[in-house]
Amino acid sequence: MSRLNPFAKLPGLNAASVLLVENEEHFQQSLAEALVKETSVTVNVRLAKSFPLPVENDESRPRIDLVVFIINLTSELSFQSAEASLKYLEPGYFLGKVCFMVSNARSSSVPAERLDAVRRLAASLHCPLLFAEDQTQQGVTNAAERLLTILKVAAGFVPFTTSLCLSNLTRSTLPPDIDQPSFD
Amino acid sequence: MGLFIVVSYYSGTAEGSKEHPQSTVLISDWSICLQPGTRKTMNDSSKLLLQRIVRRIPVQMLKTTLDKWGRLTAEQRQAIDFTQSKWALTQKLQSFCEENEVTLTRLAELEMIHVIENPNQGMWYTFQLLDPEDDAQSLELSEFKQQFKCHLSELLRQVSVKIKKHTDEAVWIRIAWGGSFSKPNHLKPTYVVHHLQTPYFFVRNLTSKLKPLLSQALTLATRHQGVKEANLSGRNLASIRDLLMRQYQHVFPTKYPSPHDEEDQPVLNQHIEKEQGHVATHRRRMAREVFGDGTLPQLQSAVYKLDTKFKDPSNRTMTEREDTFKCVVKFSSTNLLESLRSCASSGIASAPVTPLLSSIPLKGRNYFVVTDNTPGPSSQRH
Repeated sequence: MSRLNPFAKLPGLNAASVLLVENEEHFQQSLAEALVKETSVTVNVRLAKSFPLPVENDESRPRIDLVVFIINLTSELSFQSAEASLKYLEPGYFLGKVCFMVSNARSSSVPAERLDAVRRLAASLHCPLLFAEDQTQQGVTNAAERLLTILKVAAGFVPFTTSLCLSNLTRSTLPPDIDQPSFD
Repeated sequence: MGLFIVVSYYSGTAEGSKEHPQSTVLISDWSICLQPGTRKTMNDSSKLLLQRIVRRIPVQMLKTTLDKWGRLTAEQRQAIDFTQSKWALTQKLQSFCEENEVTLTRLAELEMIHVIENPNQGMWYTFQLLDPEDDAQSLELSEFKQQFKCHLSELLRQVSVKIKKHTDEAVWIRIAWGGSFSKPNHLKPTYVVHHLQTPYFFVRNLTSKLKPLLSQALTLATRHQGVKEANLSGRNLASIRDLLMRQYQHVFPTKYPSPHDEEDQPVLNQHIEKEQGHVATHRRRMAREVFGDGTLPQLQSAVYKLDTKFKDPSNRTMTEREDTFKCVVKFSSTNLLESLRSCASSGIASAPVTPLLSSIPLKGRNYFVVTDNTPGPSSQRH
């Protein structure tokens, strides 16, 4: 089973690569288009549905600086697919090079347990958890901006800051009352 | 159905009354010609039919339909002002029809012309003829017409049939049904469309009481031995015909798909790359293989009648019941096949497409009964 290795390849010049993993393959498209608009850095976006990634692309794939798991909270399958994909990443990625992005958290049809489960997952892996709104253009732009901040650090464009350092500041923590029943 | 009335003419000459030779007049439609020269007034059923026809046909199409009908003279057609209200138009047409002595059957022709031009109102149901006899393939239109009228009038005396052949080889039949003692009701006609030498016919507006009569007459007239429901219904006649005769764009499975299939992909930015692009392409290809390419025939619904045992491991009470769980699942859409195709190509429906969905275009049906014994929908296509 070949895992994705964060430091096996050399980085590109003035380039940052991000891998967006989403089961529905819907939000990643608009997010990718917003990400490549960045001018100061060349952003390469790779889109995938789930791990394992096809072996044929191993040669041509650049070094992935940031892996983003996009989870649609309205679908249980989305969460399970993201969870199952985690074992295909080398542990090196979990030092700040993995990020979780959640969409549709405001939807009333979402059971509270699912969001709690995502929080627990993110907290146990010490990864940041971002909430995004994918229906409007503004929401997509905002999500892209926040991702770019983390991406630039992960790719090494911000002096004196490494992704491990940033992850200490941005990592998700569990609220202390997560085990209490909510007032819905 | 004719009434013989003997009318004797007496001429009042000075020589005294002399009886003219008797003349017999065959009267139909119950309208009696009192004296030669006066105009007949239309009877109530004709008036009602005319009113309904004018109401149904939109004004833009009324002019062309009347021209096609050809029962009005050129001056009469010129005299009609199509910007008037429908009621005024009806009155005008009524007076012209009375002038030209247009009968009920001629009015029915007008309705038929309109329906042939606009077949997509109401629901069409499909039937399939079974077991053709040896000479079924050589059936000719004139023979079919004569046989059908003959058989139908044998079964039900009071029935009014009109048969027309359309330019695209379709035979249109309009039937106004009567009872044993009542005249044919032209306000609720049944329309039948049949292509000769094919085993299918499409019916609109037929009650279940009259279904066996029609089926028998058609079966005998087309020289088959049986008929069954083909379980396909829809609003758009051309679509259900195309679906049944497989006249839409097919995509055949190939080992080496041509590069022009990739053209549909939206052009991505050069910096965006898909890791698993071949999966999406493969899915789209399979969806197109099952449902077809390009514009698909329009179906409005698909109904699955399930008669299977309840299977859900998390619900023990329902699973433990002995008898089957009966339920009906209905998919409806403005263009059902189009939406199923995009479900399959976007991954919402799992690929390869389940036989429950792929049977719709493959077997040309949209009503299925699913039981536990069969792995897929029951009944084979002949």
